[in-house]
Amino acid sequence: MDWRQIANAPWIWLCGLILVAVALYQCTYFALRAIRLLKASGVPDDAVKKIIRASVITGFGPVMALIFVMFALVAAISPGFAWLREGAAVGAVTTELIQATNAAAGVGQTFGTPGFNEIGFAAVVWVTNIVCIGWLIAALFSRHLQPLREKIGGGDARWLAVITICATLGAFGYWTTTHLLRRGPFAVSVIVAMGLSAGLYSAADYFKRPGLKEWALGLALFGGMIAGKLYAG
Amino acid sequence: MRTMGLNLRQLKIDPDAFAKEYVAPVHRMGRITVGLHLVAMFIPPVALYLIYGLVPPWDGFIKGMLAAVAFAGPFFIIEPIAYYPVLGISGTYMSFTAGNISNLRLPCALVAQSALGVEEGSKQGELVATIAVAASIWLSITAVFIGAVAGGFLIERAPPWLIDAFRRFLLPAVFGAVFGQFALRGIAFAPFPLILSYFAIQARQPVWVVISLSVFGTIIVGRIIYKSFMTRKEAPQS
Repeated sequence: MDWRQIANAPWIWLCGLILVAVALYQCTYFALRAIRLLKASGVPDDAVKKIIRASVITGFGPVMALIFVMFALVAAISPGFAWLREGAAVGAVTTELIQATNAAAGVGQTFGTPGFNEIGFAAVVWVTNIVCIGWLIAALFSRHLQPLREKIGGGDARWLAVITICATLGAFGYWTTTHLLRRGPFAVSVIVAMGLSAGLYSAADYFKRPGLKEWALGLALFGGMIAGKLYAG
Repeated sequence: MRTMGLNLRQLKIDPDAFAKEYVAPVHRMGRITVGLHLVAMFIPPVALYLIYGLVPPWDGFIKGMLAAVAFAGPFFIIEPIAYYPVLGISGTYMSFTAGNISNLRLPCALVAQSALGVEEGSKQGELVATIAVAASIWLSITAVFIGAVAGGFLIERAPPWLIDAFRRFLLPAVFGAVFGQFALRGIAFAPFPLILSYFAIQARQPVWVVISLSVFGTIIVGRIIYKSFMTRKEAPQS
């Protein structure tokens, strides 16, 4: 059976629904608790509605940008897998793509090539679903985050930012180097996407258009992809 | 600062009520739902085995996991610590359940707190962040479902050259785009993962070794550069 048929079967959509159900129950419970306390503290109903409305309006732009990038996951794997991993399963789209690549490499396959088969897909399902448990375990330690923050960061928020940047550069740097070494259209894709991403983020700051940052990644991603295809012919 | 006619900064929240009616039940329900979510993560791999008999070879799975953990490991520790002051207790539980934290949950919490004039880390900030993140989860789940269905519809009807572009050049573009974004935030650190990776690849090291070297090597170099050359004013912001 072709792995793409497996990747979009009804059971995948059902698995995504289970994860979504847990996440929706959790966020609704927490929101109702917060709203109840706000009302008990004297905040009127229409003010609570204003808070909810403000939150939805704020989220609209980033969510649209998320959907734009999510099409990449839909095309790379399947709509069902995109629903499973992006509905409520911890990871961002770029994280899922890199983890799928890591999973395929583990079984000696290259994700996104004709040689990727159902065994590679099985590795992707196992690795992407199990590795994200690390974040869930970290969430279980929420009670201890403040003292841990003091211990690791030493109270230096900028050092925490440096760690995040270096870790991301390190992880994406490996796969960036791999594709640069392939040369030709793959290197073109990398370089164009890198340039577009850096350029759009810089433009957002220069022209004071922070909303542009939400779309920068998606635009750079598609720009790099099209550039690679144009070079390849 | 826009406050939408609300002055939540002055709002007095009873500390006892906050602890008993909010913090305690949030921790209890947070642990239960995160625990359920954790168990649910095993359903897709188990279903794949039960329905199709598909399971990756054990050694291949381990190698894939090592590479995946080498990538994600630092974020398991750093992200909860870095984002907790803005997200608060329930925002942390929700964000690490639903995901898309830095691109969606965190901005929603920050903008809502700013729009309503409350400070991160305060009780008011905690409650506002809770509502903001919860609203973003409802919104994103709805949008992702519509996007997945619509995306599947569109991809089926896309011209062959576009499908080929997605299949062959999407991944290099993703890596380049994210690398470019973060290189801008830490230009001093950017060459090192490329150099470390290049030599490790030439030395034909396994993927998980190269990723570990690239990630932790860059963090070490970052520490040296930060301590040696960067003042508080010059260091990048998160």
